[in-house]
Amino acid sequence: MFPEIQLYQAAEVAENTLHLKGGANMNVFLYELRSKAKSLAVWSISLIFVAVFLLSMYPTFYKNASLFKDVLEGYPVAVRKAFGISMDDIIKFLGYYSYVFSYVVLLGAIQAMNYGVAAISKEVKLKTADFLMTKPIKRGSILTSKILSSLVILLITDAVYFLSAFIMAKSVAKEPFSIKLFFMISVTLLFVEIIFLSIGVLLSSVVRKVKSTTSLSLGVVFAFYIIGMIQAILNDDNMKYLTPFKYFDLSYIMKNSSYDIHFSIISLLIVVVSIALSYVFFQKRDIYAM
Amino acid sequence: MNIYIKEMKSSTKSLLIWCLVMIAFVASSMGKYAASSSISGQSLNDMISKMPDALKSMFGSGSFDLSKAIGFYGAMFIYIVLMAALHASLIGSNILSKEEDDKTAEFLMSKPVPRAKVITSKLFAALTNIIIFNVVTFISSLYFVGYYSKGENTTGDVLKLMLGVLALQFIYMSLGLCLSAFLKNPRLASPFTIGVMLATYILSLAIDIDSHISDLKYITPFKYFDAKNLMYGKGFEIIYIVISALIVVFCIGGTYVFYQKRDLKI
Repeated sequence: MFPEIQLYQAAEVAENTLHLKGGANMNVFLYELRSKAKSLAVWSISLIFVAVFLLSMYPTFYKNASLFKDVLEGYPVAVRKAFGISMDDIIKFLGYYSYVFSYVVLLGAIQAMNYGVAAISKEVKLKTADFLMTKPIKRGSILTSKILSSLVILLITDAVYFLSAFIMAKSVAKEPFSIKLFFMISVTLLFVEIIFLSIGVLLSSVVRKVKSTTSLSLGVVFAFYIIGMIQAILNDDNMKYLTPFKYFDLSYIMKNSSYDIHFSIISLLIVVVSIALSYVFFQKRDIYAM
Repeated sequence: MNIYIKEMKSSTKSLLIWCLVMIAFVASSMGKYAASSSISGQSLNDMISKMPDALKSMFGSGSFDLSKAIGFYGAMFIYIVLMAALHASLIGSNILSKEEDDKTAEFLMSKPVPRAKVITSKLFAALTNIIIFNVVTFISSLYFVGYYSKGENTTGDVLKLMLGVLALQFIYMSLGLCLSAFLKNPRLASPFTIGVMLATYILSLAIDIDSHISDLKYITPFKYFDAKNLMYGKGFEIIYIVISALIVVFCIGGTYVFYQKRDLKI
C-alpha cells in the first residue's frame, strides 16, 4: 500500500541494528580515509625508500659476509655454537631481509600508533569533538569507522611496501629464496601494526588530554623498540613478552615455516582486549566542548 | 625570564619521566651485564673482532669488548643516543610550534615581549631540558658502569660518550627549532624533525653495512660522535665538531630569521 513507508521503516530498522552493533558509519569512514591520504603517500614512499635502499646493499654484504664465513670455519665448534646463530642463515637473502625488515617494522609501528593515538585525541585537540558528537552517530560507530579506516590505510601501505620489496628482492638475491617465507615474514608487518594500532586507540580513549600525538606515540613505540633491542643483545627469552616487536620471531618463522602459536595468541589477546576496552572507555568518557 | 620559568614548569613532568626512563635503562642494561658477563669469553670477542662491520652491526655488539662493563655500555650506547636524539628533536620542534598548535600564540605574542626574546627564552628552556637529560644520564651511567667495572677507571670514556651525545642533542634540537619556525604548518614540525632524525639514523646503519657509501657519513650526525670512534679510535674529530657547530649555528640563526617573519597560524 505505502511502499515509501515500508521502505522507510525497513531503513530505520536496518539503521537501528547497525547502530546497536556500533557498525561503521560510511561518512566518517570516508572522511577519515580522505584525511589520511597524504599520510598514506608519505608513509608508503618512506617504506619503499627504506626497503629499496637497504636491500640494494645486499650484494656488498654478501661478499663481505662470505669472506667472514671462511674465517669462522677455522674456529672450534664450541665457539661457533656460543655464537647462537648459524652464519648460513644470516648470509642467505632471507636472513639479511629479516634484518632490514626490523627497521621497516619500526616505521610501520610508528605509523599505526600515530593513527591509533590520533583517533579520538585529534577530535578533542582540534575542538571538533563537539561537532562530531552532535551528529546522529553512535560513539561506537565513530570508533569503528576510525579503526576501519586506519586498517585500510595500513593495508594499502603494506601492499605497496610488499610489492616494491618483492621486486627489489628478486633483483638482488643471489640465490632463489622461498617466496612463501618472504611473504610470511613481510606480513608480520601488518600484524605488528595492528597490535600498535589497538594499543594506540586504547591510549587515545583513556588519556584525557594528549598534548602532542607525535610525542606520545613515538615515546611508546620507541620504548617497546628499545626493549626489543636489549632483548636481542641479551638473548633473554622472557623479555620477549614485553615487546610486540618480538612477538613474531623471524628466525622462528624461517626455521619452522609457521608462526609461534604462543605469541600469536598473545597478540590476538592484546588486540581484542585493547579494542574492547577502548569501546568501553570511549562510551563513558566525558568529552569537553571548548 | 617569565617565559623561561613557564616553559620549565610545563616541561617538568615530561623531563622527569624521560630522566627516570634513562636511569631505568642504564640500570637495567648494566644489571643484565652482570647476569650475562660470563657468556662472552675471550674467543668470542676475538671472533667478533674479525667480523665485517656489517655483521657486527647486525649483532648489535659492534666491536666492543662485551666482557668489560665499559664495552657492554658502549654496545648499549646507541640506544641512549637514539633516545637522546628523540628527546631533543621533540623538545626542539615542539617548544615554538606548540603555541600555535594550542592556540596560545595570540596570547603570547600580544605581550610586550619582542619575538626574538620569546625565541631566546624558549631556546634556553630547551637547552636546560637537554642538559638536565644529559647530566642525569651521565651520572647514572657513571654510577652503574663504575659499579660493575671492578675498579677500572671508566669516567673518561663515559664523559667522552656523553659529550658526544650532548653535541647530537644540540644538533637535533636546533634542527627542530629551525623547522618549526620555517614550516608553514606548525603541526608538521615534529613529524618532520623526527623523520629527518630517523632517516639519518637508518643512513648510519646503512653505512655500517656498505662501506661504499661511507662518504655519506658527513650528512648523518649519528656518525659524527660514534661510540667506537670515541672510545677506541680517533676520539673527537675536528671536522665533525666544525660541521656540528655549523649546523647548530645555522639552524638557530635560521630560527630567529624565520620566526621573526612568521605569519602565525591562529
